[in-house]
Amino acid sequence: MARMKFICDTERCIECNGCVTACKNDNEVPWGINRRRVVTVNDGIVGQEKSVSVACMHCSDAPCMAVCPVDCFYRTDEGVVLHDKDICIGCGYCSFACPFGAPQFLSQGAFGSRSKMDKCTFCSGGPEVNGSVAEFEKYGRNRLAEGKLPLCAEMCSTKALIGGDDEVISSIYAKRVSVREANGRYPSTDIFGWSTAYGPSGSPAPKPTPADKIPGAKS
Amino acid sequence: MKLNFKTLGLCLAAGTLLAACSEPPEIAAKAAKRPDVAPYMGADNGFMTKGWTPGNQASWAEAINKRNQKQSEYSRAK
Repeated sequence: MARMKFICDTERCIECNGCVTACKNDNEVPWGINRRRVVTVNDGIVGQEKSVSVACMHCSDAPCMAVCPVDCFYRTDEGVVLHDKDICIGCGYCSFACPFGAPQFLSQGAFGSRSKMDKCTFCSGGPEVNGSVAEFEKYGRNRLAEGKLPLCAEMCSTKALIGGDDEVISSIYAKRVSVREANGRYPSTDIFGWSTAYGPSGSPAPKPTPADKIPGAKS
Repeated sequence: MKLNFKTLGLCLAAGTLLAACSEPPEIAAKAAKRPDVAPYMGADNGFMTKGWTPGNQASWAEAINKRNQKQSEYSRAK
């Protein structure tokens, strides 16, 4: 079974924000929420400026799942961390726990009240019927069920952002690194967020939420 | 007149004591987690890609793998 992951190649990202725009447009994400964003460090310093596209990394041992007081998160067989907005109470614990700042909240209400949490779903919707209007309105597109990969990765012009089965995308990245090394450039290139999200290499695969832990699910 | 006050008092007391009986039950199970359908079962819309069979996990995985490979310019340029 595939383990879906994202890689952002900081040597390739040109801060075009195409991924951000594609995500917002395709999922019709409301104003005030960015499921994906591009962060740039050393801005303007020649040779040291690096950009990285950040969203939910669908961690193997997801801190958001651990801290959620109403247990609205679950992990699919593909390793994607999703949540049920009908259970979420918008407490914001997940946003404090997440090392990538993935959970997002609308804060337009009185007294600082927050909406239910919204985050990247790896374009795989939520616990509604695949591809239904209800799923789209709550979670956005379900491209995985359409036989596609997340739009942010698929439309990236420089292919800095790649997403999909971990073995495939890590082999794509490894090929790039070996070519760079052969050319004498960027001799050591680490992948942003990889060890934070998925642990050191050789870590065991994440287990999907067991069916007996989901009331009403068929075992 | 006294009897009427007594009846009225009894009615008010009964109304106060029995008020909670009309409250609808708030069952926590309403917000229980629901099972999600696997992506290889396909989507109920007109945006499905061709070349794989909904419900067949192997064909879905193959279609996703093909799409994965398109992210590598080294394999695309061959």
